[in-house]
Amino acid sequence: MSKNKKRKASDFVLNSITYLSSTVSLITLLGILIFIFGQGFKLLNVDLLVENFESQGYVADLYDNVRLCNCEPTIEFDENTYYSPKWGVALSDTTDLLGRTVVKVEFVDKDSPLYKVRDKGIGNDPIELRDEYHIIRIAFDEYPTALSRYGSENMINYLEANDSLREIEFQTEGGGIRGSIITTLYLIVLTLAFALPIGIAAAIYLNEYAPANKVTKLMRSLIETLTGVPSIIYGLMGLAVFVPLTVKLTSATGGNLLSGAMTLAVILLPIIIRTTEESLKVIPDDYRQASLALGASKTQTTFQIVLPSAVPGIMTATLLAIGRIIGESAALVFAIGTAIKDEVSLTGKSTSLAVHIWAMMTDEPANIELSATIAIIIMFIVVILNILIKIISGRYMKRKMGVSS
Amino acid sequence: MKQFVEGAFSIENLTLFYGNKLALNDINIDIHNKQVTALIGPSGCGKSTFLRTLNRMNDLIPNCKVDGSIYYGEENIYSQESDVIDLRRRIGMVFQKPNPFPMSIYENVAYGLKCQGIKDKNILQAAVKKALVDAALYEEVKDRLKESALSLSGGQQQRLCIARAIAMSPDVILMDEPTSALDPIATAKIEELITELKKDYTIIIVTHNMQQALRISDYTAFFLMGEIIEYGKTSELFSHPKNPKTEDYITGRFG
Ligand SMILES: Nc1ncnc2c1ncn2[C@@H]1O[C@H](COP(=O)(O)OP(=O)(O)OP(=O)(O)O)[C@@H](O)[C@H]1O
Ligand SMILES: [Mg+2]
Repeated sequence: MSKNKKRKASDFVLNSITYLSSTVSLITLLGILIFIFGQGFKLLNVDLLVENFESQGYVADLYDNVRLCNCEPTIEFDENTYYSPKWGVALSDTTDLLGRTVVKVEFVDKDSPLYKVRDKGIGNDPIELRDEYHIIRIAFDEYPTALSRYGSENMINYLEANDSLREIEFQTEGGGIRGSIITTLYLIVLTLAFALPIGIAAAIYLNEYAPANKVTKLMRSLIETLTGVPSIIYGLMGLAVFVPLTVKLTSATGGNLLSGAMTLAVILLPIIIRTTEESLKVIPDDYRQASLALGASKTQTTFQIVLPSAVPGIMTATLLAIGRIIGESAALVFAIGTAIKDEVSLTGKSTSLAVHIWAMMTDEPANIELSATIAIIIMFIVVILNILIKIISGRYMKRKMGVSS
Repeated sequence: MKQFVEGAFSIENLTLFYGNKLALNDINIDIHNKQVTALIGPSGCGKSTFLRTLNRMNDLIPNCKVDGSIYYGEENIYSQESDVIDLRRRIGMVFQKPNPFPMSIYENVAYGLKCQGIKDKNILQAAVKKALVDAALYEEVKDRLKESALSLSGGQQQRLCIARAIAMSPDVILMDEPTSALDPIATAKIEELITELKKDYTIIIVTHNMQQALRISDYTAFFLMGEIIEYGKTSELFSHPKNPKTEDYITGRFG
């Protein structure tokens, strides 16, 4: 009887510990999610995804024949937005994606003289002043210049007090992460293109061909060790080896996408080799024997029986790899650099989303909101890729294996 | 002068070591063309080992050393000139556990031919159909050739493995306890199939089932501790065993 009680007590303690631990980890995960979504959801919009990071600046003046608007606003504004009936524009004070206080265009009437202005740059092309643009300054003929730093209310008052203006300087929104998204996708494709063939081939060698001796054993444990090396050390290696290599072979002048992808590939190799080898290991020897007994060569057996059976494992390796590529920052800071770029080229600098976050957080002050937004996007990309790969491998299995489920 | 017959084996002074362990000791027998030869004997006596020497599957086992010679037709398959891949195409093998590839039924049967470089769809289709018919499986699977072979029952899988071997049109089929993983009905089907197949193929089968050996085989070899104790016509070996050890074994007094 007391034995029974004792057992029950110990069961209770063990169960409680299990429940407690899982609750703690669940709460932690939820906390991270809530933090990221809470901080980042506000900024999440399509503009952020398609906008350039660098804002484009314009200086323009009015066309000669335009007339003042004197029109009533066609939409309603909140109390922080100021409207000039004379000019038909509404402005407000906001912070941009990078956390700077700016004067933002909320509304431009179609009849406003500012709706279409003349670019003072080369060509005198007409340009539109659009919603979301930021006004830097408006200069008048006989009035002090209205600067964005004095706020939108001041700017509207100046506009109302004048019938004409000398020039207006404004810029596109900027702060977008389009370039970093493209870089990230490039990095995924390139890195996998480097790492998968080499990694799979190495795994095949180790599992199918390598003799079971000390050298092989040593090689395996070396690969195992490499898995644990901190990525910043790989970054140093990238800087020391791949950056000079790509500079020599291509038009690159410093850290570039290619050197970054190569560095990532080296980081991924041990993971890919190990995961692939694990999946090769569990393939029953029966298959190999059956294939060889049918007069297939070793190579045929490896590539037509063994490798296809390992595809699910290789897919897992790919998923792990993609996760690592998207998440890696330390190594890339060295191997590519931290310059955020809109024009992405293989031989140029640019940042992945993770390094973009890194750059945002090392800014003064740290831009936590935008970082959280990017984090949401990263998670989104990971989920999408996950689903995509599951679908692809499912299709493959169905076609190749005739597996009906 | 020896007579060489395609599809027949002549084994001379065959000795096999796994490392230092003697697994086959001075085997000398002739295996007859288009007959069923059963290999019987207690567990660990070297039946599978012997069977695997016939298509050189032992080559895959590290530190396995073979001495002596095996003539297949007029070719010594352990000589330098012998091409092991070609040999295995002519000598098919069916394993103890059904081991179809994780592919469709069709692909399983077509695999060996494809490895030989045959690409013509029509030829492949015809060959697959013929092999499945010969293995008495076609009627059961003709509507589901594209389905996974793993969806078949154990007995069907084993017949698929036989079809896979037949598709290569070998001269010989080696079978290592092909029915030991099957129920009596599936076993009966395979036995029936073997009796059918021996018209066209030399069949060498390892079995633990005395009744099975008696039912389907023409010749029987009794193995003990890596040696052949007795070899001869099945009917004689079972009715008048010359060696008392053979008698003990077949009457179930040991092993
Ligand atoms: N790969 C191997 N390495 C080392 N020894 C082996 C190997 N395969 C078999 N042996 C040994 O060789 C002997 C013969 O084995 P074999 O598998 O040929 O026996 P068998 O007659 O087929 O037995 P069973 O009826 O149980 O299948 C056994 O003692 C076994 O332990
Ligand atoms: Mg055996």
